[in-house]
Order: sequence, then C-alpha cells, then structure tokens
Amino acid sequence: MNIYLNKNEKASANAVVLDDLFLTKDMPTTGGSMMLKGYMSLFDAEVISKLSAAGYDIAGKANVGEFSVDLLGETSYYGACAKDDGTLTNACAEWLNAGEATAALCFDINGTPRRAAALCGKTYIKPTYGTVSRYGTIAIACSGETVGVMANNAADCGKVLSAIAGHDDKDGTSLSEAECAQVKNGADFTKIKKIAVAKSICDSADDATKAKLAKFREVMSAQGIEFVEIDDTTLALAKTAWNVCMSAELCNNVSRFDGVKYGHRTSNYKTIEELYTNSRTEAFGELLKTIILFGSETLSTDNYMRVYDKSLRIRRVVVEAFAEIFKEYDAVLMPACAKTSYTMDDVKANKYLSFDEALYTAPASLTGLPAAVVGGVQLIGKAFSEQALLDAAAAFEKEDK
Amino acid sequence: MKKYETVIGLEVHIELATESKIFCSCSAKFGGEQNDHVCPACCGMPGMLPIVNKHVVDLGMTAGLMLNCDINRVTTFDKKSYYYPDLPCSYQTTQWFSPVAINGTVPIETSKGKKNIRIKQIHMEEDAGKLVHDDWTDTTLVDFNRTSVPLCEIVSQPDLSSAEEVVAYLEQLRSRLRFAKVSGCRMEQGSMRCDVNLSVREEGSDKLGVRTEMKNMNSISAITRAIEYETARHIDALENGTEELVQETRRWDDIKGKSYAMRNKETAGDYRYFPDPNIMPIVIDDEWFDRIKASLPELPEVKKARYISELGLTEYDAEQLTQSRAFCDCFEAACDECGQPKEVANWLISDCSNILNKRQMIADDLTIDGKALGKLIKLVLDGKVQRGNAKKILNTMFDEEIADIEQYAKDNNFIVSNDTGAIEAVIKAVVAEDTRSVNDYKSGKEKALMALFGKCMKQLKGNCSPDMLRELLIKAINEA
Amino acid sequence: MDRDVLRRLEKLNQLSLTEEQKDDFLAFFAKQEQEIDKLYTKDTEQVERMVHVMPIMTVVREDIEKKLFERDDLQKGAPETTDGYWQVPRTVD
Repeated sequence: MNIYLNKNEKASANAVVLDDLFLTKDMPTTGGSMMLKGYMSLFDAEVISKLSAAGYDIAGKANVGEFSVDLLGETSYYGACAKDDGTLTNACAEWLNAGEATAALCFDINGTPRRAAALCGKTYIKPTYGTVSRYGTIAIACSGETVGVMANNAADCGKVLSAIAGHDDKDGTSLSEAECAQVKNGADFTKIKKIAVAKSICDSADDATKAKLAKFREVMSAQGIEFVEIDDTTLALAKTAWNVCMSAELCNNVSRFDGVKYGHRTSNYKTIEELYTNSRTEAFGELLKTIILFGSETLSTDNYMRVYDKSLRIRRVVVEAFAEIFKEYDAVLMPACAKTSYTMDDVKANKYLSFDEALYTAPASLTGLPAAVVGGVQLIGKAFSEQALLDAAAAFEKEDK
Repeated sequence: MKKYETVIGLEVHIELATESKIFCSCSAKFGGEQNDHVCPACCGMPGMLPIVNKHVVDLGMTAGLMLNCDINRVTTFDKKSYYYPDLPCSYQTTQWFSPVAINGTVPIETSKGKKNIRIKQIHMEEDAGKLVHDDWTDTTLVDFNRTSVPLCEIVSQPDLSSAEEVVAYLEQLRSRLRFAKVSGCRMEQGSMRCDVNLSVREEGSDKLGVRTEMKNMNSISAITRAIEYETARHIDALENGTEELVQETRRWDDIKGKSYAMRNKETAGDYRYFPDPNIMPIVIDDEWFDRIKASLPELPEVKKARYISELGLTEYDAEQLTQSRAFCDCFEAACDECGQPKEVANWLISDCSNILNKRQMIADDLTIDGKALGKLIKLVLDGKVQRGNAKKILNTMFDEEIADIEQYAKDNNFIVSNDTGAIEAVIKAVVAEDTRSVNDYKSGKEKALMALFGKCMKQLKGNCSPDMLRELLIKAINEA
Repeated sequence: MDRDVLRRLEKLNQLSLTEEQKDDFLAFFAKQEQEIDKLYTKDTEQVERMVHVMPIMTVVREDIEKKLFERDDLQKGAPETTDGYWQVPRTVD
C-alpha cells in the first residue's frame, strides 16, 4: 500500500496534506500517472499560498488514482491504495489516520474524496464551484471539479476551507471575494432544518449504507431536523450527464500529455505518430484510456448533439430541479457511494465502477453545489451553504460519539 | 471547350496587434530567441488557466465593425482538438459556436467593376507555434513563441472569382485593418496569412465543383500564381480527365510553381469542438460596444476624398498619405497645429519618407509627434528656423521625443537671428578677409557673391534669413 | 460502435488498445449508450445548454506583457531538446 508520495519531514503538527493533483514547486506532481513521473512544476498551486498565509505547513503529497477519476485511488501508477486483505482505502484518509496531517486537500474531480470520506469515516466538504481557486491543479473535468477538504471533524474542515477560499484573478471561474466570504467561518448562515431525502438514490445503496442513512436521520431528527422523502428521478439523470461531461473534458485536457514537451516519452518510436501513440499507450492506465475514447466519441460530429449537447441541457435540468427542491428544503440527503467497503476484486470485476458510483457524486459535481460527507452519508446544500452543512455535520459528530 | 468559372472563398488569419498573448501574459511580439516568449500555459504544461486579454476582444470587435459585420454581444470560446507538435495543448482555443462578428461585407473594385464580398464570420483564436525542420538530423524543432499569439480568422463567403478579385479583397482587408490598428497585416512576417478554398464549375451551373484548399499562403504574388495554377489544374481535370479531383488540402510550392497534395497533416479530421468550461462568456455591453464604435477611424478612401476636397491636396498626395494610418494621424495633428496642409503633406511625403527609407522602416513605423511636426513647420514658415536646420531637427525627432520644438531650436542655436548688428559684424569680417571675392564680384562675377554668402551663412550656422543676408552683404560690398 | 470505429477513435486519440481491452471497451460503450438513452426520458427541446454553473461573465485581463518564466527552466523536464527547441521526429508537410 503506497500512501506517501512525498513527505515533508519538517512539517509542524498543524500541517495539511495535498493529494498529488496540486502542483508543487519543491516536490514532484504526478497526478498518480506514469505520464507525469517525476514532473516538477515551476509554480505552486494557489491554495498552497493561501495555506501558507494562514500558517499551515504542507505535510506532503498523498498518492492518488490516475487523475482521480477512479473509485478510491486504486489506479495509481505508484501503487493502489489497498490494504493487505484487498480492501480499498484512500491515501488522504490514511494520512489523517496516521495523525500526520490535520486535514487533506483533495481535488474533487470525480467524487473520489467524497467516497473516501464516507468509507474511511472522515468528514469532508466540497465547496461551491468557484469559491476556491483551481490555479495550479491538474485540470481534468474543469466544469465541475473543485478543491475539497477532508479532516477528522467538521471544525477542521471549516478552518481549512476558510483559509483556502477566496477570489483569484488567475482563475477565470473564480467568484468574487464577497461571494467566497460566504463559505468561510464567521459568515452568517441559516441553520438546516428541513432535509429532502433522495429516495430512489438512497434505495439503490446496500443495507449497510442504508443503515448509515438511517442512523444519520435518527440522530438529526432527535435535534429537531425534519426529513422528507422526495422524488429524485431528475437528480438521478446527473450521473450520465456528468459521466459524459467529465469524459469529454478529460479527453481534451489530457491530450496535452503527448510525450513532446515533458513527461513520459516512449523509447520505441521513429515517427511523430509513434512517439504520440506509444508514449500515451505506455503511460496511461486502462480506465483512463477508456474515458479518453468514450469522451472523444461523445464530442464527435456524429454524436455531439445527441450526447454532449444533451448532457449540457440535462445539467440545466438538474440545476433547476435542485433549485425547486431548495425552495422547500435546506439540503438533500443521499449516500456518497453504494456500499460501505470495496475491494480490489470489486474493481477487477467492474473496471468502470466509478461510472456507476457517479449516481451519488455526480449531482453535486454537475451542478457545482456544495456537499458535505459525515457519518458515511452525503448532504448537498444550496450554493454558499458550506457553513450550514458543516454546522449540521458538527451536530451529528457531537451526538455520534 | 466549355466555359468555366472559378469559385473562391478565403480564410484570412491576421495576428492582432497586442502586447501580450491571448490567454497568458507572455510577449506577443514577432521574433525573439526560440522559446523565449513562453510560459507553462503556452507550452502545454498543466496548472494554468486561460484569462482572456481584453484588448483581443477590442480588436476582434474593431475588425468586425471595419468589415461591416454584426457583433455578437455574447461571444464564447471553444476548444478544437488535434495532435500536432506546434500545438502544445493538443487543442486550440478558438470560437466555434458564437464568434465575435458575423455577416459582414467588404466592397472591392477591379477591372471588372465594383462588387461586395460577403464575410461569413470573424473569430478570435490562438496561433500555433513554429516548426523548424532540420534536414541534417531528420528532426523537427519546436518553437512556442508564436503559440497563443492572438489571431482573428476572417472567413469570406465563396464570392470571389479570380486572382484579381482576391488581391483586391486582401488589399481592402489590409488597408482597413491596418487603419484601425487591428494588425500590422505584414505578410512577410506572417502576421497576415491566407487559406484559399477554390473550386471550378461550368459557367452558369448552380452546383459547386470539388473544392481544394491551399493553406498558409503568405504573399500576394504567390496567391495570384497559386490561384491561376490551381484553376488551370481543375479545368484540365474537368476538360481532359487528366486526374480525378478530390477534396483535399494542398501545399503551394512557389519556387516550382505547382501545388501538391499534403500527405498527412490533420487527416484524422474530427476536431471535436466543445465550449471551453474555463472561459466565461464575454458579454459586450452597450458601453463597451459604443467605446469601440467611437474609436473606429475614418476609412482610408473617405479620408482621401476629404483631404482632396476639404484640404486641397492633390490626388497623388492624398493617396500617398492614406496608405498609412500613422501618416494620416501625423498629418492631421500637424495640420491642426500649423494650418498648412500642403506644406505638411510635403514634409511627410518627401522628408519623412526619406528618413524612414534610410532607416529601413515602413510608413506604419512613423512615430514622430504630429503636433511637434506642425510646430516645426510653423517655425519654418514664420522664418524663425531655416529649412536646412528644420530637417536636422526632424531627423532628431525620429530618435527622441522633443517636448518643446521652439525651445529645442533655441537651445541648439537653430533660431534665425534678427540681430542685424551681429550679422553685419560677420559680413564685415568675411568681406575684410576675402578681398579677392569682393573684387571679383565688383568686376562683374556674380558667382563670387555666392562664395561670400556661403561663408557668412556658415559662420551664422544657417540662422539667418537668406534675403536679409544677401541684402546686407551687397550693401557691405558696395561700401567696402 | 464497432471495431472499425474504435480503430479510428484510437488513432484520433493516439492510443492503441490490446484485443482484450477493445472487447472491454465495446462492452463499456454499449452500456453507456443505454445510459445515454435514459437521458431522453427528459424532453430538453426548450432547455438551454449549461456550460458554466456559475453566472459570471466577461472575465478579462488588461493587455500587459510579463515575463515570468525562463526557457531553461521550462525545458528542464523535456525528453529531448536542441539549442532551446523542443525536438521531435521530422513531421511531414
């Protein structure tokens, strides 16, 4: 099991670990891919400057699945994040378990950190799209990916989120300072009182996961929070729309990794075509290749309107469905993944498991809405409701002890 | 033989005159050491995000308005994917779904008369890098200096029907866009390049023939030859069945005077355009639109007519001046200052052009301050500075900015002296010294006066009215 | 989607799959096609596509040139360079 890619031995106790999708000047950044083995960035990600300014050290770089589009990190070229018995785990969560970081920054490209938090018993916040700069991250699914924070509790998530949120001129999708301020500690917020339960999505999970959902409802109901099951068929459409958008954007973004300028170059080439094809074929894992080809096909002249354009329209449909729900409810409850444990055998049997698991993570990814994971379940909130989500998570943590 | 007609559409790429690149802050200047104008963004490294250069949008709109287009008030960027070593990200950011300008027209005039060429659209995009082929090592060397330099691509409708029309169209584009300072449009530096789409059909037919495309043409004469060659090749194929025409991209070899099918590049074809999630839509509000609209220059042909009718210039002078926006700006500012259009035109067309030529610069490189030129001309017309000295000052103006021309002339002893006492003192000394010339003149040799005149003028450093000097000199000789 | 289309798709994306991977991909693709069909349970004829989830517009910067990086640093991790150029096999024009 390979958890640590780089470790800063001089880091203080107040240190944050980064998954290996954040570019760092003094440590290699690989994105979990053979393609970027030993790749040294000439600049640091914006969040690193923000963490330093807030007094945090960088604990090091955590292993990550190849460009973090897998289930939990099992596709890393530097070794799967799996225990000896084959149970999958996640490198960021293991850094926290080892007590070597107070929090982890995870690049939430395809929901991996949300699944990781749910499975490893961590608390996690994926903030509203545009509130944390993506400058200096390895871009994969730009329209929905956000920097997330994983920690042992909601309070630590909130502190680190407050440190990294903020406007950045270097990110053209970055929101204004005033908007970003709403997600930080100290901002006014309305407590969550009424939660919509995404019925069919919850029902599709296994019994152990359902038990976690039930536990969450029980604990929070005791604190006066009301739960109402709702029709979530529209929210379930997010899965495929997201898989299409993510794949298309990934295909385009990783096309820059071609063996010409940096990164892996095959030793087996005579022509430029061989240089490209052999470098990419050697350096990319099978899941990545599958996503590249699928994404490419969704954008082809023949399929663009039927598949890609349709998915962009579904994105608006899902955004509007959430808006409708939020007229009445403060948050939506659903699992972060279908089961409470996965093994290497599971991903061998279904190499594309993350496409199925997008049922749970795509709703927040596709819409840019904030999502918290606590007690193994996921709460999706209104835009800029991070403080309310973390407040609810903290309330659950208090009673769950 | 049947009668045939040629149908031509052009895609013209112009590099926009900006300081920095379209999505990053690297220099957009032509040339430089290889890979010196480069950063992680424009050499395809991960982590940086594109931020649109506002001036690119200004120039895109300007180009649109200069070519009578409608401006899309919401304009967006899209990604176009293909692999080639000059494209570091393996995608080009361009405009596919909502380009900055659409539906324009450009009037042209040829030996066959006047005609309007329709513009389909103008889109903003990034340029690719430069490849240098090394025959010795059989390798290709990649330079990303030009990568992400901003371009506008101007796509015409297939309204052109001859090389002559194409040349007239290109010259019209060049003149308008240079005037509006959108681009230098210098074909020899690659800041204006042209893809020629050509097909041939039987005259009167409403069906288009097989279309071939010749990419990256960069001289007017090569374009003319290529169109003539390609037209003949198509007709030959249609008439005599010499070859089967296929839709393809061809390369024009101007030395051999032939076009060749390109063997490989971009054959895969499907560019998979999609909207760039990292670039927010650009909304052109009324204020922005009005500001650009107000900044548009008078068209060169309108200016020319005005210079003739209002300012009384000759057709030739007006034509010379309106070849370049820099000349027009300088001319107009100088006229405002001194009120003598003909005089200013002469200074620009003869004196300034000479200086530019000596320095191997073109008219658009003129940077001297028009107001200062006007002041200088005024000093000459008022008899305060001698013409010869004014030319010396003009030369200096090409090297440095002279804030106050009159002060400069004073400080450098270029002001004509009205002090008759001082002039008479010089004359007295010259006449006393050169008795031979004095005597020659007195004995009727008119030439001798010029020698004396020259000596006086030299000692006076030219700062004397020639008439006054002549008068005082003759008086002094007669008295001697 | 069949093996011929897949071959073109591989070429377009500069990848080469093994025979087994091709079978897996075709099965995966067929499954995704079914998923895409489900999107058509929702009529979106009148729905505008949504590229950006946040309604911000017109993010532009001033035209100011800044040199922030040196060529030698940018080429430190390059597989092959000559004389300040990145180097590749000769491309065909």
